[in-house]
Amino acid sequence: MADDGDLAGPARRARTRWADVRRHWHFYVFISPFFILFAVFGLYPMLFSLYLAFVKWDGLTGMTWVGLANFATMLEDEILATSLWNTLVIGLLYVPPMMVLAFLFALALNVPWLKMRGAFRSAFFLPCVTPMVVIAIVFGLLYSPERGLLNYTIGRIGLDPIPWLNSEAWSKVAVAILVVWRWTGYNMVLMLAGLQGIPHEYYEAAKVDGAGAWQRVRHITVPLMRPTFLFCGLLSLLGTVYMFDEVFVLTRGGPGISSTNFGLYLFNISFGDFRFGYASSVAYTVALAVFVIALAATRRGRASPDEGEGGA
Amino acid sequence: MRTHNRAGFAIGLCALLAALAAAGCATGPTGETPAQVLTPECVSRPDRVAGQIDVWGWNIAAKSLAKLVPDFNRRYPHVAVNVDMTGANLQTRFLLSLSAGVGAPDVSQLQMVDAPKYIATERLTDLTPVAARYEKSFSPSLWRNCLHKGKVYAIPWDMGPCAVYYKRELFERYGVDPEKIETWDDYMAAGKVILEKSGGRTKMLPLAPTSLWMMYEILLQQNGGQVFDDDGRIAVNTPQSKQVLETLRKLLASGICDEVAMWGHEFMAGLKSDSIATYPIAVWFGGTIKDTVQEYPGQKARWGVFRLPALEKGGLRTSNVGGSVLVIPDQCRQKAAAWTFIEYALCTREGQLAQYRHFDLFPAYLPALDDPYFDAPDPFYDGQKVSRLFATDLTKIPPLNRTRDWVEATRYFEQSLTLWASRGMHSEGFFATLEQKLHRRIGREISPASLSLAEGQAHGR
Amino acid sequence: MRHRIKTAAGKLSLYVVLAGLALVFLVPFYWLAISAFKSQGQIFSTPPQWVPSPWQWSNFEDIYRETNIVRAFLNSCVIAVGHVTLSLFLCSLGGYAFAKYPNAPGGRKLFAFVLGTMMIPGAVTLIPTFVILMKLQMVNTWWAMIVPGAANAFGIFWMRQYIAAHVPNDLLHAARIDGCSEFGIYWRVALPIARPALAALGIMLLIGTWNNLMMAFLLLRTKDMQTLPLLIYLLQGETRTPFGMLMAGGLLTVVPMVVAFLVFQRQFIAGITSGAIKA
Repeated sequence: MADDGDLAGPARRARTRWADVRRHWHFYVFISPFFILFAVFGLYPMLFSLYLAFVKWDGLTGMTWVGLANFATMLEDEILATSLWNTLVIGLLYVPPMMVLAFLFALALNVPWLKMRGAFRSAFFLPCVTPMVVIAIVFGLLYSPERGLLNYTIGRIGLDPIPWLNSEAWSKVAVAILVVWRWTGYNMVLMLAGLQGIPHEYYEAAKVDGAGAWQRVRHITVPLMRPTFLFCGLLSLLGTVYMFDEVFVLTRGGPGISSTNFGLYLFNISFGDFRFGYASSVAYTVALAVFVIALAATRRGRASPDEGEGGA
Repeated sequence: MRTHNRAGFAIGLCALLAALAAAGCATGPTGETPAQVLTPECVSRPDRVAGQIDVWGWNIAAKSLAKLVPDFNRRYPHVAVNVDMTGANLQTRFLLSLSAGVGAPDVSQLQMVDAPKYIATERLTDLTPVAARYEKSFSPSLWRNCLHKGKVYAIPWDMGPCAVYYKRELFERYGVDPEKIETWDDYMAAGKVILEKSGGRTKMLPLAPTSLWMMYEILLQQNGGQVFDDDGRIAVNTPQSKQVLETLRKLLASGICDEVAMWGHEFMAGLKSDSIATYPIAVWFGGTIKDTVQEYPGQKARWGVFRLPALEKGGLRTSNVGGSVLVIPDQCRQKAAAWTFIEYALCTREGQLAQYRHFDLFPAYLPALDDPYFDAPDPFYDGQKVSRLFATDLTKIPPLNRTRDWVEATRYFEQSLTLWASRGMHSEGFFATLEQKLHRRIGREISPASLSLAEGQAHGR
Repeated sequence: MRHRIKTAAGKLSLYVVLAGLALVFLVPFYWLAISAFKSQGQIFSTPPQWVPSPWQWSNFEDIYRETNIVRAFLNSCVIAVGHVTLSLFLCSLGGYAFAKYPNAPGGRKLFAFVLGTMMIPGAVTLIPTFVILMKLQMVNTWWAMIVPGAANAFGIFWMRQYIAAHVPNDLLHAARIDGCSEFGIYWRVALPIARPALAALGIMLLIGTWNNLMMAFLLLRTKDMQTLPLLIYLLQGETRTPFGMLMAGGLLTVVPMVVAFLVFQRQFIAGITSGAIKA
């Protein structure tokens, strides 16, 4: 490329720049299909949604600018508060059992002498590839108070039938059980990958030192799995907040609003009430809150001392 | 080779675009401009009106429409009616289809309280050319909800006039004469007598502090109170509202209320036991009573009905809760056919009486109430002429200005009432606070008739 | 000797426990499968029937007769294939560009920008997407389900990582020297090598699209455009639900995904685990 020594710095940089762009024209052509669609259906909606957070609009008639009024309404919205509470409760109900189960299953499947590993893995993983609408309806049958399989089994053990979907407390449990069933396999696979990344030498060294199986797990496996656990935890956080199909189909958020989580709540105010402006402000606020929580959790998770390389 | 590959690129891109275009072409109907404006000429010749119409409804209402179809077809033989009662989330899907301009049925049911919200979307057919003549055939309290900027967009279907269902034995046992109850004060006095004489076992009515709205709405219509004024401004802080709230307070404070959730387990059990003596509620509750009571064996309680107590002596002794309307979305392509069905079901004595007879849907169409059927004694109520009792004074019920924000406003109202009831029922400032809350949440102005100014409780607006 | 027996017993018990749990996990599938062959009464029988007797096929006949299930199956297929193809094409082409043209001005910044948008959850963009589709009159079309979300940030990130790591620059130089066009290099050199990544991304997208209920519920407004999950969902009535038909339809909706998973297991799992490790 001819170096034009007479031109001043910025102009020459500009010319070089433009020459670079022209040299790389393939790059821009190749990314343009993606970017055009991304701009229309990714970027523009994000910005438009941000704008909508400051208006009152029903999608059909006129838009009114209301400034921060939507955010003020959010602070007093009892139903939003209830939905966030429900989300927390459902999360606390399902995440610990699911993580424990996933970890135990991963440990079991990681055992070197195990045959049929693929079959077991498939059995546990299959739940998460199926359409939730069908599964939720099946679970609805299983949860039927008088004729469901669950209450029948419970009855055989001698306990009272549980009003799964008809009780404000139990509906959350019903959702939690469904979610555990669905996502344990997924987390198990993630944890399995994490387990396989732990070098054998550590275990050998521990065995030589006389550590038993569970001690090895406690002192080597668990600490080294921290990044994996963190990753699973973050996925679970997002999953719980934005969970939709399970609640929409199984309980419809009921009875009352006792099992309405945030995902369903947002859907209800967006497309049930058609309050586009308010819904946008709620969506952004909660997204921001989740982001902050995720960031804080990641910082804390990474800040803990690692004994050697973890995970990968 | 370079040219070859550039051609390959071009061909590949074209193929992809062609495939996507083909995918795009094979589509379902998309939102297009609606056909026809509805005029009386369209429907003047019954044998000329033709089409296949889809009707959406739920539960009993849908079933009653389906049952009308054979008789309807005698008048309009070329209109095929398909009543669709399946499918969850009917109202959400209806609103989505209205917005998208495609997928809405030709006729849809809506709850009366929801009608203003849907009408405000301006995606419903203007029915004024064919329906204006029916204005006087409906109670103003119903007709008002069907209007938008002076035009008619919905037709009232059924309504829920209110009275008090009571158990005769309990009243006889404790020596209470229902005929003597004229006002809510009389009612409460009777309730206290029953409570005392039954040793606290029998309460007068079910009223839970968590769901006070229905009772509030019943009482509000008895003295002409409003939530919104005629211009859509917030009008909750008025003398009428205060009177209603005071009546509620007295009811709850008197100890005669069984604080059970409506439709809950104890509520339904109360129908079969001695725990609740009366149910001040709308006519549609009668169906539940009959179904539940006939379910269990043994001696049945004898029921009767007396007129709703008034707020003051000589005041209005009825009210309205519930009811549905029918609408035609603007995207409908068979507007004439759709209208003929609505007209038959809602604006003829034949159609309305059939629905009352078979499905207990109380007619909103006033001329239907002249029918001798309403004077027939009902054996279930010991031969009392219950239908006539419910059909009294319906045109006197003052219309509530519901506006498109009604459902949202009543939600906040109910929350506020629940809070009020659980914190000692201090009515001072209740309406001023509620007024501000509604103003902030819904964004409507506050009516100048509000008492907040006089009470010195107005905040910056 | 005792040690060996103990270990054998230990192994056996692990197998038994795992098998038992696996069976428990599979109960809902089993229940779905057998309910498709039961009548409404049998579905609600007490005690619950573990084997349908009599075994009946009428649910499948009913759903074929009374609903648009064949059309719904077609819709689901077209939408799934369309979305996956479009997305794979956009993301692989774009990912290749980001991976193999690192010196293009603004390239790094653009990529970082796209990555940054991954922080913003889909829930935020749902309303505007709906509004755009309404304005473009694309509601109730296949387009509405195929196009939005095809250009997704995760996809382009995924393809870029893989191509950058597995496609050696020497191959590209060699191809250029041979006179291959830039698009030709992408198509003939990079794509074949990136096949595992395409498969992984593809299967994830496939499953997500096939199973999607929310978008279908919002955007598909008439019976002839419904996808299978939406049709199943809407079979539930306010008062009466034909569970037999529903289970039959549900089975038809689930089976393709089960098959797809069993065939592409390795790729799918490779996809989600390497994503985790990178994070």
